[in-house]
Amino acid sequence: MSIALDRVTKRYAGRPTVDGLTLDVPSGELFVLLGASGSGKSTILRLIAGLILPDEGTIRLAERDVTHLPPQKRDVGFVFQNYSIFRHMTVAQNIEFGLRIRGASRAARRERREELLDLVGLAGLGERFESQLSGGQQQRVALARALAYRPSVLLLDEPFGALDVKIRAQLRQSLREIQRTLGVTTILVTHDQEEAFELGRRIGVVDRGRLLEVGEPEKLYERPRSLYVATFLGAGTLLVGRCREHRVELGPLSLPIPDDVPHDEGDRVRVLIRPEQVALSAEKPPPGAAVLGRGEVVDQAFSGATRRTRVRLEPLSGVRQVVPPLPFGAENVLLEAAMPAHADAPPDRPWVALEAWHILRQPTPRLLVCDEGAGLSSALEIARPLVESLDAIATVLGVAPDSRRQDSLRQALAERAAQAGLPDATVRVRRGDPAEQIALEQREASYDFVIVGAGEMATRWGRAQSPGLGEDLAATLATPLVLARGRPRSPRNILICTAVGEPGKSDVRAGGWLARRLGATVTLLHVTLPDRTPLPYVRSHLERGVATLRELEVASRFSVREAESPIEGILAELREAPYDLVVVGAATGQARRSARGEPITRQVLRRSGCSVLVVPQGGW
Amino acid sequence: MTATVTHAELARRGDRAAVPVAIVLLVLLPLILMPLAAVFVFAFRGGPDAFLGALGSREAQFALRFSLLIAFATAGINAVLGTYTAYVLSRYRFRGERPLGILVNLPVAIPTVVVGTSLLLLWGPIGLFGRLLEPFGLQPMFAPAGVLLAHLFVTFPYMLGAVKPVLDEAQETYEEAARTIGANRWQTFRWIILPALKGGLFSGALLTFAHSLGEFGATVLVSGNLRLRTQTAPLYIFAQFEAGNIAAANAVAAVLATLSFVIFFFLLRYTGRRSR
Repeated sequence: MSIALDRVTKRYAGRPTVDGLTLDVPSGELFVLLGASGSGKSTILRLIAGLILPDEGTIRLAERDVTHLPPQKRDVGFVFQNYSIFRHMTVAQNIEFGLRIRGASRAARRERREELLDLVGLAGLGERFESQLSGGQQQRVALARALAYRPSVLLLDEPFGALDVKIRAQLRQSLREIQRTLGVTTILVTHDQEEAFELGRRIGVVDRGRLLEVGEPEKLYERPRSLYVATFLGAGTLLVGRCREHRVELGPLSLPIPDDVPHDEGDRVRVLIRPEQVALSAEKPPPGAAVLGRGEVVDQAFSGATRRTRVRLEPLSGVRQVVPPLPFGAENVLLEAAMPAHADAPPDRPWVALEAWHILRQPTPRLLVCDEGAGLSSALEIARPLVESLDAIATVLGVAPDSRRQDSLRQALAERAAQAGLPDATVRVRRGDPAEQIALEQREASYDFVIVGAGEMATRWGRAQSPGLGEDLAATLATPLVLARGRPRSPRNILICTAVGEPGKSDVRAGGWLARRLGATVTLLHVTLPDRTPLPYVRSHLERGVATLRELEVASRFSVREAESPIEGILAELREAPYDLVVVGAATGQARRSARGEPITRQVLRRSGCSVLVVPQGGW
Repeated sequence: MTATVTHAELARRGDRAAVPVAIVLLVLLPLILMPLAAVFVFAFRGGPDAFLGALGSREAQFALRFSLLIAFATAGINAVLGTYTAYVLSRYRFRGERPLGILVNLPVAIPTVVVGTSLLLLWGPIGLFGRLLEPFGLQPMFAPAGVLLAHLFVTFPYMLGAVKPVLDEAQETYEEAARTIGANRWQTFRWIILPALKGGLFSGALLTFAHSLGEFGATVLVSGNLRLRTQTAPLYIFAQFEAGNIAAANAVAAVLATLSFVIFFFLLRYTGRRSR
């Protein structure tokens, strides 16, 4: 009686409400889908019930493919948010409806009905009508009606949403017992975190149609992987500090980063501190405690079992606060703390120590691979080694000129992605002007890298793929953009051009980050023009760049070259060693043109056949 | 507390109500009440025997039976057509939905005589469809079928008006609930939608019936007013009046009026019960 969704997508007006969702609920489990309103959680339930059909993907109930079956053939029990008790029928008739449809005998119907009325605690109310029932009773009738014909799965859409708090607690309890007694595989949708924690053996957190994390309530609360889950579930404080020598620095504190959290020197690391993990004391904590400093109580609230306190700390250098949000311009750290209400109230200026904390995993890198659906597939081919070595998720984007060609393009993209060795990639098709749509997609879903093929400039994609626009794109995207060329393999030798002006910090860091994960070596290049003596700062910049790369544990060297123009210097360097990726800053590529006015990026692409990574200023 | 205030208020208003109420009655008396009374007074002026005699004539009998038959048929057919149209309009979203919604209500606004002429133009011997049907010996105009056609046209909006609000109000999740429970489309309609529509269907059918019974403008044109063939009760009354047989006309008029009262009474009772 399992429920299995495989890459299910549902779009409304071209936008995915449910986005490539994969979910497995084993037989007999009570699974909770938790999400804010508009997250797509109800749509998921309606897809499983067959009230709407998916655009892509498959749905299996009890090992049976039901993707294209109408609701009445799926054998599900559904409890609607508004219960939808049939008004012209008595409670008994409502409960018996499913059995009557299935042609059960009168005696069998009556027996089952009495059984269910007992089960949901409504014995003796069978002859009532909906208008004679309280909200809680209506909810029980809806549940009994959905269970009467022994469906293989039970789906509940915010079943307690319309009830007051006290009744809600009772009904939650009885739902849990009923589900355990019957052992029916159940998915419950709710926006109420308390409800999710209490009912779900496992919880799936949904945001914008995607299943962000699935796990036991304790795990999601204490060790969330994503920022959204960390902040959506429960209260707490989220601070961002810098990584130094495998520890994250939070002012006076230095917390070790666990080995299973991949991190790099200088990375921004997010630390989640739950309110009950903060200890406030009048005395200075003993040495060895994780002391953040002395704070000031700014707010207190009593909530029955616990007392919530907000403590303000002096600004900690290099630490940024994400949650709770600070007023504009404030730099202090505001910490959420909670303690049992029976404990003494904290002093006005308590010492603040952390008893526990959780370091969030760095987000999985996400690549946007733009493909035309025909011709060369340089972007797809460079994406594959990147996906493998970065452990990244790829989305393949196509842009159709009109709605008629959308479906055929989607199909073509899926085939090409599979051929290029990206069978798991999500395929997405937009409509309109390629450059605009790529920018829009990036704005909506913010990827870490955008990859565009640079081969076919005469095609419709010409504008997007011409390197000139590529730079514009990189600047508007504020995201590193890979212009893939030829038949690239996994980059082994990366050339970072700090060719002119000041070497940008972003390009060195982005190139270094890539090199570390790809196991590539990096050369930092600086080109001096013949009539000028090398500027004194160049050497120190290059040395600092190399130091940054060394911190990232990347093998690196630098090269200073004299040439007629920056591009000649770059090309000369490219001729000398087998580079497969050139990194330029967007500002460099755009501002500095050769005498013929052709941007550096375009010349590198045209004259060397090497792929280019354009890094916008501050884009890393 | 609120109740006492309201009562006092009402009583106070009652004192002052005498004059406005009198004015209303004075206006209504010659306008509505006296003509209604006149029908019965004139019908029975010759005594019960004359009344029964007038009703017993073959033409009168035919006219009344024909009218009832047409009214039943109209109510039945429009119950199905109207419900289906209402269902489509209320459940599906499509291009041209609004214009269609206006269009199906149009018959209320068009003068019935105009309906009659347009039907004649379409179905008459030289009409668009009529010309096609003629070679097969089919002639809907000046025949019972024509009368039925006219009545269906004229009364169509009443059924729609009675059923559509009920459908609009009925939650779509009812149908979804029925589907998830295992009912197919027909079972959903039969067990969920139809029972919910019962009241609307009943009042819609009564309204249609009543209007069909009294229809004159369109009928007089499409029927040709043929004695013992297409003459409905209102047409009979009109014909007898023209011929100077006031007593015969009034006898049938009294029966029609009584029928209307009965239908009206049922409608009032029904809607009263629902609103309570």
